[in-house]
Amino acid sequence: MAQPVIMPRQGQSVESCIITQWHKKVGDSVAEGDILFSYETDKSTFDEPAQLSGTMLAILVNEGDVVPCLDTVCYIGEAGEDVSALSASAPAEAAAEAAPAEEKKEEIAAPVVTAAPAEAGERVRISPRARNLALQSGVDMTKVAPTGPHGRIIERDINAALDAGFVANTAAVEAFLAGQPIVVEEEAPVAAEVLAAAPAAAAEDDAMAYEEEAFNGVRRVIARQMHASLSEMAQLTLNSSFDATALMNFRAMLKEKGEDLGLGKISLNDMVLFAVSRTLLNHKTINANVVDDKFRFFKHANIGLAVDTERGLLVPTLFKTEELSLSAISAYAKSAAAKARDGKLTPDEMAGGSFTVTNLGSLGVESFTPVINPPQTAILGVCAITQRIREDGSVYPAMGLSLTFDHRAVDGAPAARFLSDLCKALENFELLLAK
Amino acid sequence: MPKSQYVDPGKVFQPGYIHFNDIPVCRYNKTLAEEKAIYTKEDFLRIYRDMRIIREFETMLNEIKIKSEYNGIKYNNPGPAHLSIGQEASAVGEAYCLDINDFTFGSHRSHGEILAKGLSSIYKLDEQELYDIMKEFFGGQILQVVEGKEEIKGNIRDLAIDFLLYGALAEIFARTTGFNRGLGGSMHAFFIPFGIFPNNAIVGGAAPVALGAALYKRANHKKGIVVANSGDGALGRGPVLESLNMASMRQITELWGMDGKYSDEGMPILFNVFNNFYGMGGQTQGETMAFDMPARLGAGFSASQLHAERVNGYDPLAVIDATTRKKEILLAGKGPALLEVATYRVSGHSPSDSSTYRTPEEIEAWKEACPIAAYRKKMVEGGIASDEEFAAIEEGIVKRMMKICTLAIDDEISPRMDLAKEPEMISSLMLSNTSTPSMDTTREAEVLMPKEENPRVKQLATKARYAYDENGAPIPKIKLLGIRDALFESILDKFYEDPTTIAYGEDNRDWGGAFAVYRGLTEALPYHRFFNAPISESAIVGSAVGYAMAGGRAIVELMYADFIGCAGDEIFNQLSKWQSMSAGILKMPVVVRVSVGSKYGAQHSQDWTALTAHIPGLKVCFPATPYDAKGLMNAALNGTDPVIFFESQRIYDKGEEFHKEGVPTEYYEVPFGEPDVKREGSDVTILSIGAVLYRALEAADKLQADYGISAEVIDARSIVPFNYEKVIESVKKTGRIIIVGDAVDRNSVMRDMASNITEMAFDYLDAPPVVFGSRNWITPAFELEKFFFPQADGIVDVISQKIMPIAGRVSTVNESEIEHIERSKKGI
Repeated sequence: MAQPVIMPRQGQSVESCIITQWHKKVGDSVAEGDILFSYETDKSTFDEPAQLSGTMLAILVNEGDVVPCLDTVCYIGEAGEDVSALSASAPAEAAAEAAPAEEKKEEIAAPVVTAAPAEAGERVRISPRARNLALQSGVDMTKVAPTGPHGRIIERDINAALDAGFVANTAAVEAFLAGQPIVVEEEAPVAAEVLAAAPAAAAEDDAMAYEEEAFNGVRRVIARQMHASLSEMAQLTLNSSFDATALMNFRAMLKEKGEDLGLGKISLNDMVLFAVSRTLLNHKTINANVVDDKFRFFKHANIGLAVDTERGLLVPTLFKTEELSLSAISAYAKSAAAKARDGKLTPDEMAGGSFTVTNLGSLGVESFTPVINPPQTAILGVCAITQRIREDGSVYPAMGLSLTFDHRAVDGAPAARFLSDLCKALENFELLLAK
Repeated sequence: MPKSQYVDPGKVFQPGYIHFNDIPVCRYNKTLAEEKAIYTKEDFLRIYRDMRIIREFETMLNEIKIKSEYNGIKYNNPGPAHLSIGQEASAVGEAYCLDINDFTFGSHRSHGEILAKGLSSIYKLDEQELYDIMKEFFGGQILQVVEGKEEIKGNIRDLAIDFLLYGALAEIFARTTGFNRGLGGSMHAFFIPFGIFPNNAIVGGAAPVALGAALYKRANHKKGIVVANSGDGALGRGPVLESLNMASMRQITELWGMDGKYSDEGMPILFNVFNNFYGMGGQTQGETMAFDMPARLGAGFSASQLHAERVNGYDPLAVIDATTRKKEILLAGKGPALLEVATYRVSGHSPSDSSTYRTPEEIEAWKEACPIAAYRKKMVEGGIASDEEFAAIEEGIVKRMMKICTLAIDDEISPRMDLAKEPEMISSLMLSNTSTPSMDTTREAEVLMPKEENPRVKQLATKARYAYDENGAPIPKIKLLGIRDALFESILDKFYEDPTTIAYGEDNRDWGGAFAVYRGLTEALPYHRFFNAPISESAIVGSAVGYAMAGGRAIVELMYADFIGCAGDEIFNQLSKWQSMSAGILKMPVVVRVSVGSKYGAQHSQDWTALTAHIPGLKVCFPATPYDAKGLMNAALNGTDPVIFFESQRIYDKGEEFHKEGVPTEYYEVPFGEPDVKREGSDVTILSIGAVLYRALEAADKLQADYGISAEVIDARSIVPFNYEKVIESVKKTGRIIIVGDAVDRNSVMRDMASNITEMAFDYLDAPPVVFGSRNWITPAFELEKFFFPQADGIVDVISQKIMPIAGRVSTVNESEIEHIERSKKGI
C-alpha cells in the first residue's frame, strides 16, 4: 500500500518550505534512511530521510515549489503499484501548488519569458492586503500561485513567492495588477544559477553590464530585519577600548599549554563572549527585548552570535551562557557557527536571543556601528586590536568595542556603564575566571 | 401568583351576576349662581382668557399653515400642525384643577393641553418660583428673548405667559430657543417645570408613559396625580388598553400594602379622553369603535368602573367640576379614573384635511356651539363681566400673539440649530452617558431584609466564581456562579443603593423570573418595587419610560427577545427618543432585559439585536460571560441611558472561564462599547456576538488543532456603542475576519459590522469580512437547530470557503456567493 510522505514542519512559525532538490526519481528504489529530498525554510535547509523502504511511486511537487507544511509531497510503495487514484484524491491544494511549477519549468528553459494574467486587461483577483504586500515587496507576480477563494491571490501566496525568492520590481507588480501583458526578465534564483553557471553569457562589452541576483530567503529576512531595526529604533553607538594585555597573555598561555587539555582553540572572541555572559545579567535593560512598548527582561544571558555564511548573516543563539564555562562557551559557539555555515540551524535555534555579539575585528575593522537584531535592545561589536601608547610612553594592545543600543529602551549612562563594566572584566580576565 | 390568593374552585363556579353601576353622561347641571360661590370674577375671566389664548395660538398656526401669513406677519412652516380648535374648554377645564405637582401627558394634538397646563401652573406658582424657573431654564435663554422685548413691565406672570407661548412656538418652529431646542417640535413639546410632560406623535403612545409617571409617584410616595390625555381614537390601541388594565391591576390595592406595612392606595392616574369623535377621519362613535361612548370602557376594566363618566367638554365649568371630582378620587387612593370629555374639533385633523368624512352642516353646528363664545355670552348674561371687558382681553391676546410670532420667526433672535457649524450637536444629545448611581440620594431604599440575610446571597457565597479549580480542572456547573447569578448580584446591589429602582415584568415575583435571575428578590423587596406585570409588553416598557422621565430607575423584563415586537413602539419610539427629543433635559435610566431562547422554535428563539441596534438612542449589549454580564449590568444600571440588555438562555448557567480571579463580589463596571479579546491569535479573527462565543472558541480550537491556523476570538459584548478600534487592530494583524452570531444573517448587526470593517480596514484585508449568522428561516425545532444556528464546524467551513481555503476541508455548509445570490433571489 503506497504511503504518503509529507512536508515536515520545522518550528512553530514555519508555514511552508521550498523543495530545493529531489534525491530520488519516480521508479527509484528507496531504502529507509535514504535522503528523499532537500528543502529550505527562509532560515535554514534540511534533508528529509525516508521513513520506510520501497519504490518512489509518485512525486507531486517540483524543485523550487513552495509547499505548505504537512502537505503530501510524494508516495512510496511497492514497485508497479497504481497510485493514480491516490494522486487524483490528493488534496486540491497540492494540485494547485503543482500547476504553477510546470509553468516555471518552461520559464527556466527560456530565461526571458512573457508572463501575464490569462488575458490582457483581465482583472487580477487579489486581496487588498496581498496587493499592498506585492507592491511593497516587488514580488514577481508571475510566480504567485493564487490559493484564495475564486482564484484570488491572498497574502499567503505573495509570501510563498517571496519566500521562494521570486522578486521582480514594483513597476512590474503594478503592470501585472493593471492587467498589462508584461515581459519580465527572469530573476528567480534558479535563473541566477543559470547565469552563474555561464558568466560569459552575461559578460557583454557594455560598460553598464551587470549581473542581477534576487535576494534569497536569508537575504530577504536580513533586509527586512535590518531595515526594520534602523527605521523603528533609536539606535546609537558607543565606542570604547580596553587594555587587552591580560586577554592576550591568557590566550597565549592557552595556546601554549592548553592544547592537551583541549583548550587551545579558545579564541579572543570566545573570551569576549565569556565576559559578556558574566556582565549581562547585571544590566537588565541591555539583556532584554522590547516588544509592543514592553520590556522583556531575560533571566539568562542568551547571546546571539553573528555568523557570516555564504547564504548571508545568520545569528544562532547561545542559550544560558552565564551557566557555562569558558571552554563550554567556546565549544558551543563553534558548533553553532558550523551549523550556521552548513545551513543546519533550525528556526528555534535562532530565536530567543537577549543580546548579540558580532565581530569584525578579525577583518581589521577598528570601530563600527553594529545594527541591533530586533527585538533586542543592544548589540556589541568586537573590533580589531590596535597599538596604543600609555601615559608613561609604553605601548599596549587595545581592543575596540562598539556598543549599539536602542535609546528608546536604554539611556546613555546605563549603556556606558555596561560597556565600562565589560572593559573592566576583560582587562582583569583572570579575576573574572576565578569568580 | 401569590399563595395568599387562593383560587377556589368552589367559588369560581358559583352562579351569580356581575353588576354594573350607571355610568353618568353629561350630568353637570350647576347654575351660574351656584358656580359664583366657587369662582371669583378673576377666575371666570381667567378661564376665558386661557381658552382665548389657545384659540388665538392655533388660529395663528392655521393661518400660517394655509396662508403663510398671520395678521400681516409672513412665515412658512413646513412642520406639522395638528390643531384642536373647538377643544379649548376641555383643555382649560382640565388644567384649571391641576397643581404644579400634577403631571400631564398628551397626544399629537396637544397644543391646547400644553398651553392650558402652562397657564394654570403660571397662575399657581408664586412669582419668585416662577421667575427662578424661567431664569434657570437653558440658562435664561428663553427668558432673555421675552424679557428683552417686554412691553408689560413688572408683571412676572404676564412675562411667564410670553415665556410659555414663545417657548412653545419656537419649539414648533424648530428654533434652538424652543422648550426642547427645536428637537421635539409640534407633537412633542413639553415643559417639565410646569408639570407639562411630553406629548406624543404616536396615537396612544403616551398612555403607558403616563402610567409609568404615576407608578413613580406611587412607588416613591410623591405628591400629585398624573393625567394621561388621549383622544377617542387612541382607545383602539393596545398600549392604551394595556395601561388601563395595568393601572387597575388588583395587586396594587390587594397586595402592595403588605398587611399595612406599605400604602395600599390605587394608582394616581386619570385617563382623560378628549372625545372629539374622529380619529383623524374615522368616526369612533359610529364607525371604527364599539364603545359608543368611551366612558363605557371603565366598566370593563375594574369593579370601580374607573369611576368613569362623560362630561360636556364644551363647558369649561362642567369639565372643571368633573376633573375636580376625579382628582379627589385619586388623592383618596381610589384610582385610577377615566373621564370622557366630549368635545369637537372644528378645524381639520391638519390644515390639509378637506373634511371629506363629515358634512359642512355638522361642522357648522359645532361652530355655532363654540365653547368660547358660549362661555362669554353666559358670563355677560350672568353679569360676571361686560362684553367690553372680554373684548379688551381678546385684543390684548391678539397683540401678544403677534409679538410672540414675530420673535419666534426672527432668525437672529430665534436661530435654528447650526448643524453646519456644529455638525455633532444632535450626536451629543443622542445618549446622556452620565453615571448616576442613585436617582435619589435623600432616602433609604425600602427593603424587607438586610442584603446579607438574603437566602440567595447566602447560597451564592458558596459558589465558585471561576470555572476551573487550582489544578485547572473544570468545576461542575452546579457549584459555579453562573451568568444568572452574576446578573442577580448586580441588580440586588442596585436595589439597595438606589431607592427609586424598581423591577417588573412577567413572572418576576415569586417565580423569580422565568430563568431564575430574580430568585431571591421576592424575599428582599416590597411589592411596589418588584412585582408581576400583566402580560402587557407595551405597558411594561412604556411605563418604564414614564417612570424614568419622572425621575426613577426601572429594570423591566421581556421574557423572550421575541416579545420585543409586542413592545415595538415603546422601545423604538418612546424609550429611544425622549432623551434627544428633550434636548438632553430628560434622562432615561431604563434597562430592558430580553432573553434569547433556544429549543422553543420560531417565536421563542430569535436574536433581535439588529432591530434594537437599528434605532438611534438605545444602548444594546449582549454579554456572554458572568464577568461581562455583571460588569455590563452594573454599567447599565449606573448609567442614565436606555439599555436593551440581551441575555441568552443557553448560557445562563455558564461559569466564568476567562477571568482567573473570578467574578468580583465588589462593584466594577465593564464599559459599554468595548469588545474583548477572549483569545489571541494571528491568522484569522472571529468576532462573536452573544452566546455564539463558545462555538467560536470551539472553532478556534479546531482550526489550531487540525490545521495549525491560529484564530483570534473577540467577543463584541456591546453592540451600541461599539469601539471598532480593537477589531481593526486585530484585522490589521490577521488580515481576515469572520463575524458570527445567532441572529439571522440578513440585515443583522453582523452585516453592519462587516460593512464597517470593510470600510475601515480595506487595505489590510486579505479577504472580505465574512458573516456567518443563522439562516434566513424560522428557527426549527431543537433537534434541527444545528442546521440553523452557526456551529463550530460551520465556522471553520466558512473560513475555508470564503477566506482562506483549507486543504482537505470538506464543508458541511454551503455559504458560497453563488448560493447566497440564489437564496437572495428567492427571498431567503
